[in-house]
Amino acid sequence: MLQVNNVSKVYEGKVAFRALSEINLSIEKGEFVGIMGPSGSGKTTLLNMVATIDEPTTGEVLIEGNNPHSLSRDELAKFRRRELGFVFQEFNLLHTLTVEENIVLPLTLDGKRVKEMKQKAAAIAEKLSISSILTKRTHEISGGQAQRAAIARAMIHQPKLLLADEPTGNLDSKASKDVMEMLAYLNEQEKATMMLVTHDAQAASYADRVIFIRDGKFYSEIHHGKSRQTFFQSIIDTLSLMGGDDSDFSPIHRQ
Amino acid sequence: MTFRQFTVNNVIRNKRLYVAYFLSSLFTVMVFFTFAIFAFHPAFMDGSIRGEVLYGMSIAGGIIYIFSFFFVLYSMSSFLQSRKKEFGLLMMQGMSTKQVRLMVFMENMLIGFFSTLGGILLGLVFAKAILLFAENMLVIDETLNFYFPLWAIIITFVSFIVLFLFISLFVSFILRTRKLIDLIKADKQSKGEPKSSVILAIIAAILLAAGYATALYVEGQGVLLAMLPVIIIVIIGTYLLFTQLSVYVIRQLKGNKRFFWRKTNMVLFSDLSFRMKDNARTFFMVAIISTVAFSAIGSLYGLQSFLTKEVKEMNPYTFTYSNYESDDSLIQEHTRTVEETLNKYDIQTETASEELNYFEVENSGRPEVLISKESEYNRFAALLGEERVDVGKNEAVVVGDSSTVMIGAEQKERLMDVPIVLENGERVHPSRLISTVVMPEMFSYYIVADETFDALPDPVETKTHITWQATQGSEEAIIEAGGVLQNQFSPGTFSAIDYSIYTINKSFGPVLFIGLFIGIVFFVSAGSFLYFRLYSDLDQDKMKFKSIAKMGLTEKELKKVINRQTALLFFAPIVVALLHGAVALTALSNLFDYNLVTESALVLGLFAFIQIIYFIIVRHFYTKQIRSAIY
Repeated sequence: MLQVNNVSKVYEGKVAFRALSEINLSIEKGEFVGIMGPSGSGKTTLLNMVATIDEPTTGEVLIEGNNPHSLSRDELAKFRRRELGFVFQEFNLLHTLTVEENIVLPLTLDGKRVKEMKQKAAAIAEKLSISSILTKRTHEISGGQAQRAAIARAMIHQPKLLLADEPTGNLDSKASKDVMEMLAYLNEQEKATMMLVTHDAQAASYADRVIFIRDGKFYSEIHHGKSRQTFFQSIIDTLSLMGGDDSDFSPIHRQ
Repeated sequence: MTFRQFTVNNVIRNKRLYVAYFLSSLFTVMVFFTFAIFAFHPAFMDGSIRGEVLYGMSIAGGIIYIFSFFFVLYSMSSFLQSRKKEFGLLMMQGMSTKQVRLMVFMENMLIGFFSTLGGILLGLVFAKAILLFAENMLVIDETLNFYFPLWAIIITFVSFIVLFLFISLFVSFILRTRKLIDLIKADKQSKGEPKSSVILAIIAAILLAAGYATALYVEGQGVLLAMLPVIIIVIIGTYLLFTQLSVYVIRQLKGNKRFFWRKTNMVLFSDLSFRMKDNARTFFMVAIISTVAFSAIGSLYGLQSFLTKEVKEMNPYTFTYSNYESDDSLIQEHTRTVEETLNKYDIQTETASEELNYFEVENSGRPEVLISKESEYNRFAALLGEERVDVGKNEAVVVGDSSTVMIGAEQKERLMDVPIVLENGERVHPSRLISTVVMPEMFSYYIVADETFDALPDPVETKTHITWQATQGSEEAIIEAGGVLQNQFSPGTFSAIDYSIYTINKSFGPVLFIGLFIGIVFFVSAGSFLYFRLYSDLDQDKMKFKSIAKMGLTEKELKKVINRQTALLFFAPIVVALLHGAVALTALSNLFDYNLVTESALVLGLFAFIQIIYFIIVRHFYTKQIRSAIY
């Protein structure tokens, strides 16, 4: 479904900075993949490439075999509103709109009929249990509710790929748990393909597979085993191996 | 929610963001509309008011319209700049470039439509007051009654809907959608410490100093020659002042730790150089626009006061009759007419008459020069309440040229070196120079003792001169009688001072009025530019003060910092404009050799006062906003 082939990103400037080097990644349809790594490792850069927000310096990104970066502006806009869904750390809901209006925004931009929008909004709100706050404005709801509204907005048009950048970053542990369970549920029920960038091992443990990158390079990859608890433990282990200044040791020796 | 609903909601529910833009558009429409109210006033339309007034009005209307266009365009584009992140987010949700443009277009038309309506309504509310003001200012004999300004409404509405339509189209096309990542991170990008070049900073100082020095140094006709180069030099200097010199000075201050690390200075100056650089162009524009406004109004006002004073100087008496003819019966007849008219208007006068004798004086620079008898001079002086002169037997007193005579100051004393030759060949040398307005003569003349006068050769020309100085009578009667008499005699023979001044005011009124109108439009919109700049930094300031407040910043200190910050923003360009204006008006007074200090002080002081009030209001709201974010 998603293919990232040899993608590198170099930020030009006084000192050129290589944010990503030759990353390869592939995500199957319906898969839920987490991307982890320390700050500055390039995980958000990678997500931005896939999200068509930023362009790779070399390499290509293919979504269902097509390279979205080669689309024209208008086609790209249509591609975003039909095939992609985004969830951000800062929610990025428009404060001028109600929750419901925020949720239907991708459909509005696509010029869908009002009746259809209403139906879809009601259905997704039901699933995410935010039906009661649909008429509220964004400043009247809690962070957890805001993030669920953002997820509803990202999912309402049944995108091929949902991209989440630190969705639990601004939430407390209870709200984080709710949001991650919601994403896992949508992944299971709607067969939505998801890519999640996070710092939070707890959040990453909901994924089917976690890819670790460091300093813009692929580091390692671990798969969800039988229980989420053991998966969480192995994520923690990998992170502790990766982090700190002990990079002289290779992960093999430390095991 | 359809796309249209989305756009409308976006505007209506985001009032704070749009209100500044809306209000300034509304103000612009209101100004244009009040202008249209006169231009289409029935009193103008039925042709009873002079054509040139109407012509001036339409030119002024055009200027206001063109200025409105650029003003709205600038407001709109600076408004869009602050919304980059919003556009980025919308584009991530899949908004196409076309849809962004459509949204901006619709927003703009929405705001444009309501500000046009609002401006017209507000204009209607003030219409009567403004008509009254205009009536006095324009010196119109008829009263400008309030009327329902249907034409003004139609013209304003159509003009501004067209204006907003064009701007909406224009803006939505220049709205470049750059890379999405730049838009989304627009609020997080650091700009890097602004740089300034020492050389350019020095050049700025030199250009301004040179421009000012030249403007203040040149006199008389030289002012006109120097005008264009000085204007160009000062404009470049002003630009460099804001872009280079100010940044340079702030950097130097920041380098001085004893200053920079003192109390709240660090909070204030840390981002001041960024802000200076960001605001440099706005400051430059505001400074230049305000300078134009100050100088224009100052010059018009100064010119009016200059002309009025000159007329008074040339004809200090209420009514003056002079005739070269030596036909006594004609003169008697004229005198009778004048007295009869004055009686009819119930005006009491004191009168004096004299033969003015002009002589040929060698080396005087004029074909004929007036020489006046001491006794005659004193008789007239008594009438005006001026000082008498005492002239000795072998001397002559020179009266300098009136300032209406446009020659250099040193030449005014030219007669001092020129002796008068008597019939017997004796020479009488001038002994002193005085400056009075007693005799109705523009050029220099002599006053000699009566015995000396009798020893003069025959005059080349003799002029009969009769004056009436009013002691009683209403002002209107004097003006009216003056008008009647002045039109009755052939030009140049009769002058009525009050009527002349009335005529000057009447013809200057519209010019002054239009100038004032445009000046105020320029000035207020310059203020709005500053307001926009201030508000575009509001969110950043909120964050800044929030984090500083956490470290412990008392409310008093907060107020102090905000006060200084806003004051710098508000007064930096205005102070520069006031200085420019003061120099320009000084140059103008050098051109006419006429002291304009009172007029300049009045005009510049008035603008400074308005700006202070504006500052106090804006500061109040700004502090309120910041405080609401912190506490």
